[in-house]
Amino acid sequence: MKQLTEITTPFGEVASAKTLPGSELGWLQQLRDKARAQFERHGLPAKKVEDWKYTSLWSLSQEGFSHDANAVSLDKTELAHVAALEDAYRFVIIDGRFSAELSELEDLEEGLSIKPLAEGLDNAQSMLGEQIDLEKPGLNAINTMLMQDGLVLQVQAGKTISKPVELLVISTAENQKLASHLRNLIQVEADAEVTLLEHYVSLADTEGFTNVVTEVKLDEKATLNHFKLQHESLAHYHIATLASKQAAGSNWHTNNISLGGKLARNDIHSQLLGEESHVTLDGLYLVTGDQHVDNHTRIDHAVPNTTSDEVYKGVLDGNSHAVFNGKVNVHKDAQKTDSSQSNKNLLLSRSCEIDTKPELEIYADDVKCAHGSTVGQIDEQHLFFLRARGLDETAARSLLTYAFAVDVLQRIKSAPMRQALSNVIEKRLPKGA
Amino acid sequence: MLEIKNLHASVEGKEILRGINMTVNPGEVHAIMGPNGAGKSTLSNVLAGRDGYEVTQGEVIYKGENLLELEPEERAQRGVFLAFQYPVEIPGVSNIYLLKAALNAVRKYQGLDEVDAIDFLNLVRDRMKLVKMDEQFLHRNVNEGFSGGEKKRNEILQMAVLEPALAILDETDSGLDIDALRVVAEGVSALRAEDRSIVMITHYQRLLDHIVPDFVHVLSEGKIVKSGDKELAKELEKSGYSWVHDAPEGQTA
Repeated sequence: MKQLTEITTPFGEVASAKTLPGSELGWLQQLRDKARAQFERHGLPAKKVEDWKYTSLWSLSQEGFSHDANAVSLDKTELAHVAALEDAYRFVIIDGRFSAELSELEDLEEGLSIKPLAEGLDNAQSMLGEQIDLEKPGLNAINTMLMQDGLVLQVQAGKTISKPVELLVISTAENQKLASHLRNLIQVEADAEVTLLEHYVSLADTEGFTNVVTEVKLDEKATLNHFKLQHESLAHYHIATLASKQAAGSNWHTNNISLGGKLARNDIHSQLLGEESHVTLDGLYLVTGDQHVDNHTRIDHAVPNTTSDEVYKGVLDGNSHAVFNGKVNVHKDAQKTDSSQSNKNLLLSRSCEIDTKPELEIYADDVKCAHGSTVGQIDEQHLFFLRARGLDETAARSLLTYAFAVDVLQRIKSAPMRQALSNVIEKRLPKGA
Repeated sequence: MLEIKNLHASVEGKEILRGINMTVNPGEVHAIMGPNGAGKSTLSNVLAGRDGYEVTQGEVIYKGENLLELEPEERAQRGVFLAFQYPVEIPGVSNIYLLKAALNAVRKYQGLDEVDAIDFLNLVRDRMKLVKMDEQFLHRNVNEGFSGGEKKRNEILQMAVLEPALAILDETDSGLDIDALRVVAEGVSALRAEDRSIVMITHYQRLLDHIVPDFVHVLSEGKIVKSGDKELAKELEKSGYSWVHDAPEGQTA
């Protein structure tokens, strides 16, 4: 079987019953219908599908998710506690809905436009759905037919936006088993630059499901510094697609940090379509208990003289299971491609599992590609050294775990961003002195 | 300070230490010399508490406590310091972080608060002068990309910051050129104190030209076969280790 036969949540029916943003736009309705047809045909992928070999959607398919949320508010002090960045434009989505009241979008710098999906759709036809593959086995079809909200961000040509933008997506305990289908559209025009943090968080042990697609379009010489921090509750499902298309000379730095969720899956696709474009595709996953995290990345070097640099690191404890699949595809004429990829894993328990698979497909002959993956444990020599300096075993292990993960953070250029993410990660380490 | 009584220890079932007796009083500097394979490193590892060394007989009393029953960190917190023969590189942990964590671990045991940030920096800067280390080393990862000499100086810096009661220097002179040796030796000499004992384990006499020991012991085949003062080291330098095997077992200091 290539697909799961029974799906408890009637996604298709929900799509017909609901009035979704942009229902008056013919092109969008067509796109949603196409997605609906795709979903009716292919459903949810089963483990027989190669890309879903190590990640089962069976338990997700058996959950009855709701699509109706009660309105929720939050006081500002609580919100400040949840947010990762202090000095940022903040775009808040709470239980699947944009909240103007909680967001901080006053006095945007010149050249920056931030809108919720419903307001940003008018001009989105050339953008929406262009970066992703609707046919791909996964949840892109469900997302497209049901997308209800999201961030539409645009930076005008030549503008460098000084303050970062935090997209804060909060799941609260008010709406249990809520499914949220979010679509973010990020466009950075020529010679412009912006920093964006996608931040997904639960308040309390909320059960829920976030299905998000973020599409990124970088025009010539544009730069996007992009971060994703996912620490939803251990009862939460998080399925995400992040896809970019890059024009000549553009730079995309992305750093994907997965800490939360019962099941988290990221499909990240970088398409280097213009010469001299570059992508840094980093990631870090820290999982424990019964958590399952799966990162599938794909980089397409479609033209000559493009570069990619990918570092993914994982720390696994308890009975957790992590999957890393990193594909680098160097197209036929993509000469002088320079690509490096590594995936390193630190196992802290005997019962965790990692499936790591770097994949290189090279159809050009003048390229430089390096890749590798490692799986290891804490070095006993290091541990003894730290204990011989007085650190107790827990503190020493915790420090060595942090040390293993830290180079992914050190690659972050912005100091406030690095500090904010380090703080969150330090809290997740095994407790020590 | 330290009393080693009839210490026997094995590694993977093979007996390496075969009855070591030794007493180190506060303020004394002892040198333990001996040929390769005599058991010098085994002795330092047993004292520091490394895994894989089985003590089959005997005891080690440190400040009235049975040292062998303590975890490595408990020994360190009580003031036992091992300067490693081969200091490890620890990517991701900066030198300054390590120094602070180590100092705070000792202070916590002593019932003191964590060190104040400014006091700490002043202390570390002061101690770095002892081993002629540049401040940039503080922000580099522990020993990562350090030369052999820099690694050994870094060990002595840790000792200088932690101010242990008992320092065991395991072949601290190995792999050092003359200049680096002098810097390390001067650093150690500056740390000699009435309430601090130092045990230096070395293959060569040359370290002892710079740090003059109160006692010299010759370790051979897991036993101390001869003890004396600094003159013994000179004798060894002249005649090598072969003659000690023929000598009657020496008195322990």
